[in-house]
Amino acid sequence: MPKCLVCYKWTLDEQDIKIKPEDLSLDSSRAKGKISDFDRNAIEEAALLVEKNGGAVDALTYGTPTVKLSLKDALSRGPEKAYWIADASADAADGCVTANVLAAAIRKLGQYDVILCGEGSSDLFNQQTAPRLAALLGLPCLSFVNKLSVEGDVVKATRKLEDCMETVTVKGPVVISVLSEINKPRIPSLKQVLGASKKPNEEIKIADLGLKPEDLQPKAVRKSVKGFVMQRKNVIYKESSAADNVAKLKSSLVSEGLC
Amino acid sequence: MNFELTEEQQLIGQSAREFGKQHLEPIAVELDHTGTFPKAVVNGLAKHDFLGLLLPAEVGGAEAGFVSYVEVIENLSRYSAAVASIVNNHTIAAYTIQNWGTAEQKKQYLPGMAKGEILGGFAIYEHGPTPGVGANALVAVKQDVGYVLNGKKAFVRNAGEANVYVVFATTDPAAGAKALTAFIVKADAIGIKIGEKLETMGLKGCPVADITFENVVIPENALLGAINEGGAISAKALAVASVAEAAQTVGIGQAAVEHAAAYAKQRVQFGKPVATLQAIQTLLAEVATDCHLARLGMQNAAVLIEEGKPFEVEAAMIKSFLVRLGSKMLLDTCQVEGGFGYSEFMPLPRMFRDIAGTNLLDAPGDFPEKLIAASIA
Amino acid sequence: MSILSPEQQAIKQAAKDFVAKHIIPFAAQYDKTCEFHPYLLEASKESKIFAMAVPKEYGGLDYDALTQALVLEEWGYGCAGMGTTLAASVLSMDSVLVAGNDDQKRRFFTPMLNAEIGSFGLTEPGAGSDAGAGKTTAVKVGNEYILNGTKCWITNGAFASVYVIYALTDPAAGMKGISAFIVERGLPGFTIGTVDHKLGIRSSNTVELLLKDVHVPVTNLLGKEGEGMKIAMKTLDMARPAIAALSVGLAQRALDECVKHVHATFTGKSYPGQTLQFKLADMQIQVDAARLSLHNAMILRDAGLPYSKESAISKTFCSDVAMQVTTMAVSLMGSYGYINLGKYMRDSKIMQIYEGTNQIQRLVISRAVLAPPPAVAIAQKAGK
Repeated sequence: MPKCLVCYKWTLDEQDIKIKPEDLSLDSSRAKGKISDFDRNAIEEAALLVEKNGGAVDALTYGTPTVKLSLKDALSRGPEKAYWIADASADAADGCVTANVLAAAIRKLGQYDVILCGEGSSDLFNQQTAPRLAALLGLPCLSFVNKLSVEGDVVKATRKLEDCMETVTVKGPVVISVLSEINKPRIPSLKQVLGASKKPNEEIKIADLGLKPEDLQPKAVRKSVKGFVMQRKNVIYKESSAADNVAKLKSSLVSEGLC
Repeated sequence: MNFELTEEQQLIGQSAREFGKQHLEPIAVELDHTGTFPKAVVNGLAKHDFLGLLLPAEVGGAEAGFVSYVEVIENLSRYSAAVASIVNNHTIAAYTIQNWGTAEQKKQYLPGMAKGEILGGFAIYEHGPTPGVGANALVAVKQDVGYVLNGKKAFVRNAGEANVYVVFATTDPAAGAKALTAFIVKADAIGIKIGEKLETMGLKGCPVADITFENVVIPENALLGAINEGGAISAKALAVASVAEAAQTVGIGQAAVEHAAAYAKQRVQFGKPVATLQAIQTLLAEVATDCHLARLGMQNAAVLIEEGKPFEVEAAMIKSFLVRLGSKMLLDTCQVEGGFGYSEFMPLPRMFRDIAGTNLLDAPGDFPEKLIAASIA
Repeated sequence: MSILSPEQQAIKQAAKDFVAKHIIPFAAQYDKTCEFHPYLLEASKESKIFAMAVPKEYGGLDYDALTQALVLEEWGYGCAGMGTTLAASVLSMDSVLVAGNDDQKRRFFTPMLNAEIGSFGLTEPGAGSDAGAGKTTAVKVGNEYILNGTKCWITNGAFASVYVIYALTDPAAGMKGISAFIVERGLPGFTIGTVDHKLGIRSSNTVELLLKDVHVPVTNLLGKEGEGMKIAMKTLDMARPAIAALSVGLAQRALDECVKHVHATFTGKSYPGQTLQFKLADMQIQVDAARLSLHNAMILRDAGLPYSKESAISKTFCSDVAMQVTTMAVSLMGSYGYINLGKYMRDSKIMQIYEGTNQIQRLVISRAVLAPPPAVAIAQKAGK
């Protein structure tokens, strides 16, 4: 009966973000919030673990005050209770700050057997939260997980690495970050959506976490975020024969690593 | 005045959107080609509580309210308006039983309808002028065993797939519509003949057929509401249905304008994307505007329905608006896409064929303007 | 409607009879199977209707513009798809009328006397409204041109005997480097590509044409090199009213079907109320006005007067009317309309798109509207 905690981030839906053609800056004024994609997989994985093994899932999130909009969404997907920390510091937070805040909150909340995160957030994709969290909590970290199971007090995971698949077992508490292929997040049924408002949520005030001001200062400062517009290469092959053109195209594709 | 959906309503819409993307988008084209009733998808909708959305919790419904309902219909319609039609026609039948049924009738049908185990249909229209809808082609005669139905109902949606029909018949042919009475009729009643499936221009997958009743005997307790109450019942149910259909129109229109806008941004003619041409901008802007205003009108009527306030005039208004401007959303978006808007390998032609089925004036004597004018003059 | 001469009335009636016998009974079937069937050409042999625009000296019927419009309205009434087959064939021969020499005319028109059809090949994937952006090339080698490229949405493509294909003889000159060629069916390298499954006019054949090293004799060049766009524009000018005519027929048909259904529905003492009556009246107003705008353009053309603006107006107005009337017809007749009148609504949409979208037509019309009046124009010219 593992006690699971899933950490999730409330991000902007990139579909709603427009790139201004003049300077490639981003217009997020009409962007709606969403639970970061890989975090959805993490929430789903936690829900599946609990459905199989019993126990319960708590959700934890750290974000700007808009994070309150995420609670019902998260609670409709499996967790029984949501903890939330709303603070302006989240806006510029880097991996260090995020991990500091989450670790402090987790120390307050108590012991969890499995702490789940998405492999990276859908906006910044730094992939730092899980490893940093594990380090701060003194726990092992399993990243790139695409298969997970719990048997008794043993957590078994398969990690998808670049050239191989690694199977790992861990006894005792562990921090895990999951890949999107680990599962297909459920579409909350209407009853689950309506039931979410009956589930408890609790605010954790950042002031109560015992953090120093420098813990909330990002070490890597984000200077600007610009849109990326893919430019076409516009290469025309003008060899004398079709065969020569094809040969040139093929060598060009090979040199770009496309085939 | 708050134009924002509540969190629940937004999340419900989001679930419908995700369902549409995952389960409807992959089958929409094939469904349009084959017209085969999508049983698996309907079961999936039931599992997510969409078929029992309006029904109370005690019968297993989600009790989510009418605004959530139109959010669902709009989002499903973005991907497959045909499937949304199936849901609409089922829901109107369930709505009628919920609002006019006896405790026994509700217990007998609603739990199954909420679970999707019982699919509903609504048999109201008739061939002929129907001064007052559904007036006299189906006659119900009272007998000691119950009632005997003889006659024909036209253009029944979900025909052949529904397990139960809410049927409107007259108990007095001479009085016509004034004696219209509602009944709950099980699909397996002896004497019911589902006619040949009719070939509609779009919304294929939601079957449409005439139903003939030959000495169909139904028990006393099949009476829905009171004798001669059928006119009032059908008027209200059809008013609710027109708001639900408006949600379909808006969903299709929204999907179309998004597709046409994306097309216009990448289609280069005369050295630039056609989206930069004022001619194209005008077309897109008019569609987006009409769709936006239609949505607001539709949601306004939905709020009134949810709050139990009078809504028939607002429902008639949105119907009137969309009879005039609903199909135009696809006439104009197809125009934006030019030849591509006419090729069936692109999505707009199917949407063109679908949207025309969401603003039909099925009662030739009953234009929505009549009710609107009566409310002001 | 305009006052017709006895000859025009006879031709109109003959067309009506032909349509009633050979088109109306089969329209729904070929709409369903989405195919052009050559039975139509077989049936048309006797009347020589596919040669209705061919001049007398080449053995054709040489109908004046108004008469052609009368015929096309009847065909549009019967089936807009089959009407498109006729209209597109005439469109292709219009290019030859405009720019062909005597020999070319004879070669192109003679097959049409026997109900063989032509096809107009201008459009390409990257050249729709921007017709001058075509990339098909024609390279002169000796006394031949070698054509390479792809044309799309070509009506009659799979069934035509003769084609007019537009290709770049001088790619560097862009639009001014396009030339027009007659291409005969069966030339090596000339293949019919995929068939387009369309929303409407499904009984009309629409295909891709693939040209790979198609050798065409210099005697197939229409006019001079570089005159292609001029020829295309003159051709479309002439051909626009054909679409207007199909649209009028289509709209009238939808209206007539509504009236039929109203009669069948309101029997005995019952009668449609004012709302329904007035909607039918509105439909009739539009159809009549559309027909008159078309006839006006045709009368100008037959009188040898400038008619470019009126031609564009009639194409735009008639197709817009068809779209509105057929859409209203479906909605007004409810589920009956959705089942039985949908074809007219589907067929109407293309009328606003092909042979120059109604947006392009409005460019033509607005240019005429905003052009300074003649006296001012002369003064402006003098001032230069």
